[in-house]
Amino acid sequence: MMTTFAHILASVDPAQQGSAIDRIKSFVDALCAPYYFVPLTTLLLVIALVSYKQWTRPKAALLVFVAFTVFYGASMLDEDFFKIIKKPDNVPITMMIYFTGFCTWLGFRQAAVNDDRMKRGEPLIESGADDKVLVWPDLVYTELIALVLCTAFLVVWAILLKAPLEPPANPTNIPNPSKAPWYFLGLQELLVYFDPWIAGVLLPGLIIVGLIALPYIDKNPRGNGYYTLKERPLVISVFMFGFVIMWCVLIVLGTFLRGPNWNLFGPYETWDPHRPAALLNINVSDVFWVVLPEKLNVAWWKPGLPSEASFGIPAFLVREAPGIVLLGGYFFALPVFLAKTVFRKIYTQIGLIRYAVFWLLLSWMFIVPIKMVLRWLFNMKYFVAITEWFLNV
Amino acid sequence: MPTVEMVTKVWIAPGCIVCDACETTCPEVFHVQHENETCIIRPEALDVEFTKPLTKTIIEAAQECPVDVIKYEVAKFDVSDEVAAKIAGGATAAPAPATAGEAPAAAAHAATSTKAAPAKPAEPPKPKVMDPAIQALLAATTVRGGHVVIDRGVAGMPDSVKHLAKLSPDQLPPDGKFQRVLEKAKPSSEEPTRRDLLLGAGWTALAMGFGVGPLLAFNRFMAPNVLEQEDPKVRCGPLSKYTSLAPGDVNEDFKPVKPSGFWIIREEERISALSIICTHLGCIPSWLPNDRKFKCPCHGSGFKPNGTNFEGPAPRPLERFKIYLDGDQVIVDRSKKFLAMGPNDTAVWNDPDASIPV
Repeated sequence: MMTTFAHILASVDPAQQGSAIDRIKSFVDALCAPYYFVPLTTLLLVIALVSYKQWTRPKAALLVFVAFTVFYGASMLDEDFFKIIKKPDNVPITMMIYFTGFCTWLGFRQAAVNDDRMKRGEPLIESGADDKVLVWPDLVYTELIALVLCTAFLVVWAILLKAPLEPPANPTNIPNPSKAPWYFLGLQELLVYFDPWIAGVLLPGLIIVGLIALPYIDKNPRGNGYYTLKERPLVISVFMFGFVIMWCVLIVLGTFLRGPNWNLFGPYETWDPHRPAALLNINVSDVFWVVLPEKLNVAWWKPGLPSEASFGIPAFLVREAPGIVLLGGYFFALPVFLAKTVFRKIYTQIGLIRYAVFWLLLSWMFIVPIKMVLRWLFNMKYFVAITEWFLNV
Repeated sequence: MPTVEMVTKVWIAPGCIVCDACETTCPEVFHVQHENETCIIRPEALDVEFTKPLTKTIIEAAQECPVDVIKYEVAKFDVSDEVAAKIAGGATAAPAPATAGEAPAAAAHAATSTKAAPAKPAEPPKPKVMDPAIQALLAATTVRGGHVVIDRGVAGMPDSVKHLAKLSPDQLPPDGKFQRVLEKAKPSSEEPTRRDLLLGAGWTALAMGFGVGPLLAFNRFMAPNVLEQEDPKVRCGPLSKYTSLAPGDVNEDFKPVKPSGFWIIREEERISALSIICTHLGCIPSWLPNDRKFKCPCHGSGFKPNGTNFEGPAPRPLERFKIYLDGDQVIVDRSKKFLAMGPNDTAVWNDPDASIPV
C-alpha cells in the first residue's frame, strides 16, 4: 500500500504543484487512473463487505454520506469536473451514485441487524411481518401519490434540462468522445477490451441468461425472504462485485474518466483532444514469440512470429498456441482444479452440470477485469487473435 | 300376481374398453362402435317397455363386463304368471336349449346367450353402421349439465328422432357417451363452408397486418439509413494533387462523400484510398495530424497513417478501396475493397488495384 501511494505521489508533476488544492486534485487524478480506480473501488467493496456491521450503523452511514457529499460538492467547484456533471446526459449518473449507495446501505443494514438477531436467537426483522395491504384505499392511494410525484418530477426535469434533437449525423463532425447513453457506458467500456461479438452480444447475453439461470444453479433456500450476509457471504460478494464494480463503477469510469479519443483523463483534468497517449498494443503471441525470447536471449529460441505451418498445423494456430493454452487452461482446466480444492464443497453440493454452468458464468464475469487490468498495465490486446475466424478473445 | 324385478333403465359409465362382450350377450341393447371407439345404448333401449323383457340378458351383460361400466336400474312390477314364468324360465332355460321352443321371444333371448342354438328369424339385426336416426339425433343434441338434451328443432327429422326427442333428459343415458360420439362424428362429416373460407381469409389478413407488416418495417429499420449512390466511382482530381503530399500525409477532402467516405494517403512509393469506417464497430475515426494517427472517438482504436491498427480494440487495419488512374485523373472505386486481416498480414495491399505507384 505504502509503495503504491509513494508511487502516486511521485507521479504528481512537481511543476504543477501550485496550491494545496491543486496537489489534492492531482492526487485524485492519479488515483483515478483505471489501474488504481477499479482495484481501489473493489477494495472499498471488500472493506464494506467485511465491516458491514460497523459502517451500516445509521450514524456511521450518515458520516459517509456527508463526507461523500462534501467531497462531491467541493469537486463541482472544479471547472472541468463541473462541465461533466452539469451535462444533462450525466445528471442521472449523480442520482445513480446516490441511489446505489443508499440501496446498498439499506440492504446491508438489514442484513447486519438480522445477523445480529440470529446470533442472539431473536426473531428476524421479517418474521411475523404482515406485508399485505388493502387494495382500496391503501395501495391505490399510494400508487396515485407516487404517480403524481413522479410525473411532477419528470416534468420539472424535462423543463430544466434540455435534451435537444441534434442535427443529422455528419462524418466530418463527429462528437469526440462519442458516448452511448449513460446506462450503456459500462457496456461501451467493455467494447474497448473485447471484440463486438463478445462485448456486445455474448457478455450482455450471459448477464441476462445468467440472471435467469441463477435460481436453478443456487437452490440454497437461505436468505430467501430475509436479509442476511452471514449465511450467504460468497454469493452476495460475487453479485455485489458483478453489479457494483462491473456495472456501476464502469459507468462512472465511462462518464467521468473517458475523454476525447476515448483516452483516460482524471476527473479534474481538462479534456484535451491533442493530449498524447501511447497505447501500443501487444498480443499474447507477441509476448511469447518475440518479447520473451528477446529477454531470455538463448540460442534455441529465436524471436519472431511463426509464419509457416509446422506438423500440418496452420501458422496462425501455431502463432496463437500460447493464448489458446492460456484460455483453455482458464476455461477448462481451472474449474477442474477448483472443483478439487477451493470449490470442493460447492461441487459436491450442486453436481457436475450446474457446476459447469456456474463456472461458465463466473469465468466470463472474471475474464473482464482480468483483461482490463492486463490492458491497463501491459496494453495487452488479445489472448487469441485469429482474425480470419473472427475469433479474437 | 307375482312381483318381478325388471330393468327400467340401462346406461354405460365412463371407462368402457370397447370389448364386444356386452353386444355378444345382448345385441338388442348394446351397440359397440369400433369406428368411434365407444359403445352406446341403442336408442330403442331407452324405452322402459323395451328393456323390461330383456332384464335377464342385460344383467348378464352387466356382470360379464370386464370393467363393470354397465349400470342399470331395476323396479318391481306386478306381472302375470305367464310373463313371470317367461322371465324366470329364461333364467333357467339359458343353459338348456331344449326349452327355447316355448315362446319365440324367449327363444330368441336364450339363443343369444347360448351360441349353440340355431339362428332364429326373430334374432334382432346387428347394424354395423350408425343408425341415421342416431346421427340426426346426435346432430341435434348438445350436452348440458352432464345430460344429453335436444338443442335444436327436430322438425323434418325421421319419426324415430322425434320419438327420442320427446324423451325427457332424465330418460336419456347420463353417461356422456353421446357427447363423445358427437365430438368424434361431427368434425369429420363437416365440409369446409364459405364461412370457414372467409374466416380463414380474415385471420390471414390479420396475421399479415400484425406479422408481416412490422417484419418489413423492421427490415427497413435495420437497413442502413443512407441513400445508395449508383456510381461507386469518385473522381478525385489530378494525380499531382496527391504526389505533392509528403509521405505519411493524409488528404481528407473525400471524408464526407456518401455513402462511404475515404481518405487518400501518401505512402513512400504509392498513394491509396482508406475507408473511413473503423474496423471495430463502424464509428468514424478522426485524423490527428499532430499525433500522426487516426483515432476513433467511440472506443479509442488507433491507426497509423497507413491504416494499420496499433492501439485500442480494432481487430484489423482500415480497409482500402480500389484506386486507379484515368489519364491524369485519380479515380477511387468503392465497389472493390482490400481487407487486410491484421497489422502483420497486409499482403493484399500490394495488389496493383489497391494503390497508384508514384
